[in-house]
Amino acid sequence: MSWDVRCAGVGKRYRVRDTPRRRTLKDLFTPKSRDMWALRDITFEVERGDVLGIIGPNGAGKSTLLKLLSSITAPSEGEIRIRGRLAALIEVGSGFHPELTGRENVFLSGTILGMRRREIAARLDSIADFAGIGSYLDVPVKWYSSGMYVRLGFAVAAHLEPDVLLVDEVLAVGDAEFQARCLRRIQDLRERGATIVFISHDLGTVERMCRRAILLRAGRIAAEGDARDVVTRYQRLVTDGVLTAGGAPDEDRPVAITDLGITDAAGRETCVARSNDPLTLALSLRVGRLFPDAIAQVMIYSYEEGTLLCECSTPAEGITLQPGDEAVRFEIDALPLLPGMYTLGAIVRPRDSQRAIDWWFGRTTLHVESGPAARGHVALPYRWSLSKASEPVRSR
Amino acid sequence: MPTPPSTSATAELAPGLPDRRRERVIRPPAFSLGAPFRSLGSLKDHGDLFYTLTLHRIRVRYKQSLLGPAWAVLQPLATMGVLTVVFSYIARMPTGDVPYALFALAGLVPWIAFSNAVTTSTQSLVSHAQLVTRVYFPREIVPLTYVCAALVDGAITGVLLLLLMAYYGVAPDASVWLALPILLLLAALMTGVALAAAATNVRFRDVGVAIPIVLQMFLFASPIAYPLDTVPARVMDLYILNPLVGIIENFRRVMLDTGPLHGPSLAVTVIWVVVLLPAAYAWFKQVEATAADVV
Repeated sequence: MSWDVRCAGVGKRYRVRDTPRRRTLKDLFTPKSRDMWALRDITFEVERGDVLGIIGPNGAGKSTLLKLLSSITAPSEGEIRIRGRLAALIEVGSGFHPELTGRENVFLSGTILGMRRREIAARLDSIADFAGIGSYLDVPVKWYSSGMYVRLGFAVAAHLEPDVLLVDEVLAVGDAEFQARCLRRIQDLRERGATIVFISHDLGTVERMCRRAILLRAGRIAAEGDARDVVTRYQRLVTDGVLTAGGAPDEDRPVAITDLGITDAAGRETCVARSNDPLTLALSLRVGRLFPDAIAQVMIYSYEEGTLLCECSTPAEGITLQPGDEAVRFEIDALPLLPGMYTLGAIVRPRDSQRAIDWWFGRTTLHVESGPAARGHVALPYRWSLSKASEPVRSR
Repeated sequence: MPTPPSTSATAELAPGLPDRRRERVIRPPAFSLGAPFRSLGSLKDHGDLFYTLTLHRIRVRYKQSLLGPAWAVLQPLATMGVLTVVFSYIARMPTGDVPYALFALAGLVPWIAFSNAVTTSTQSLVSHAQLVTRVYFPREIVPLTYVCAALVDGAITGVLLLLLMAYYGVAPDASVWLALPILLLLAALMTGVALAAAATNVRFRDVGVAIPIVLQMFLFASPIAYPLDTVPARVMDLYILNPLVGIIENFRRVMLDTGPLHGPSLAVTVIWVVVLLPAAYAWFKQVEATAADVV
């Protein structure tokens, strides 16, 4: 395969000026500055149609790398090559002029992002629809709510048709429902063969969206490879090795959880779903030796609070796991969750003990896109009626 | 675009289907006089942005103001009025048989375009910091659209001038067509100054502060309120080093038919433009590469 993005020895240096108190005239004319390398020795390739995740702690250089890739600022050393039309999925509301209407601003920010006026005109309805601003398109954006403003800014970028797409922290934009819509759009582009570089704090989303990943630490590449392995490395790093999910089973751990995936009705891997969609949660296990009386469970937590909402479990009498790769599948007919972000966890334990043999946590994120407008997390199925208190209840 | 060093990958990709994608190479910035020519090529990909942003400037300019677009007319008229009161009632300025108001307005047409362009474009990169740090597009588009908007201001003043000429019964003769190359020279000068000022202001905000003062000095150091003939001969050589002299004086001469072209000042302006424009563009492109780090 051929690459679309290639970095060779890329580095970015910032001059940090020390500002000690100036005592003498000489100090005034000899400004002391030192070099700070935000990125150093960055070398990687992204193949055409691949999705590369970039993870790492705050200040590791993730966003700087994206700025270099999108030419916002130039590298201090090395060379970057990009093939094809590049676009960044960013919120461009900052380019809006408050006195102009939504329509005029869409043309303005669309052309700033590199679209042609003709393309924008053709997609105008779709953009308004995506942003959910409907009839407000011809109203000056100064009358918009802040949510509408941000959504419209993002919707413009979401309608680009790039060969190479850069995504930085899409999960920081708008409400959870809008974020899910953006992720759906990224998935669509991925299916159409776009090359994607994806930055997110949420490991669960990176692991679902990306095939490969790079772990940045203090401006350098600390790990590179299969997204699952890199996420494992990172998780081990931030938890001082407490979390050891993934990898091979061993004497102490006869069963290892290798993945917890989500597939939609069509059997495609996803991380976005709608309320009441059918969905399958698939737990992949690597079994070292015959293991009878096992129980496998998948839990769904709210993302923000970490509250356990529900769980699926194999029967209480236990199942027998055969050596080799096994998959436990939980099929949900209608997903009973409201729009929002959820994190999935899993454990495998013996029937007679609560102590897990292996667990999986914080690596599978589910974004629920659209559904009934209600508060809370659960899409409760119900009927309602209205009647006089004295009369017998008529059901509707 | 240059082919990558490892051509094997490209060859592999394209059995039957040629890879039409353009390859872009990003390297550390280096000052190069060739940069303007390379970036002119990429500018044409952004024609739609240029058009939309220029339209935007003109539309937004007088929004939420009571008098709206009338300001484009009031601004030159007010300046003309002030100059007329000072130099034709208080002090007498010899302007031959040309009414002073007409004389002043003819000088103001290029001046208003120039000073509006410089004032607005100096702050342009800094005031667009939000965009500059988030999206890439050729940054020169931002100051250049201000130059275009200022040219529209100049054109409006030009229409006023024609109306005033009709009022005083001053008919232009054949030499009026020479105004076009002179205005072209003005546009080139505005572009050069705008690019240099915008780029420099990213690093040194002093420029933004100094520009109004400098413009005020140039208003009096250019033959706007007075004719070139009144400048003492011993400072003339120094005086015509100001590139605006050649433009303003000659524009007025061809419009109002007050004499033949003044060659020396025009030659100085041409030299200025030929040197300044490419140098300013190259400087701009170098600053642009890391502008997002400092705005």
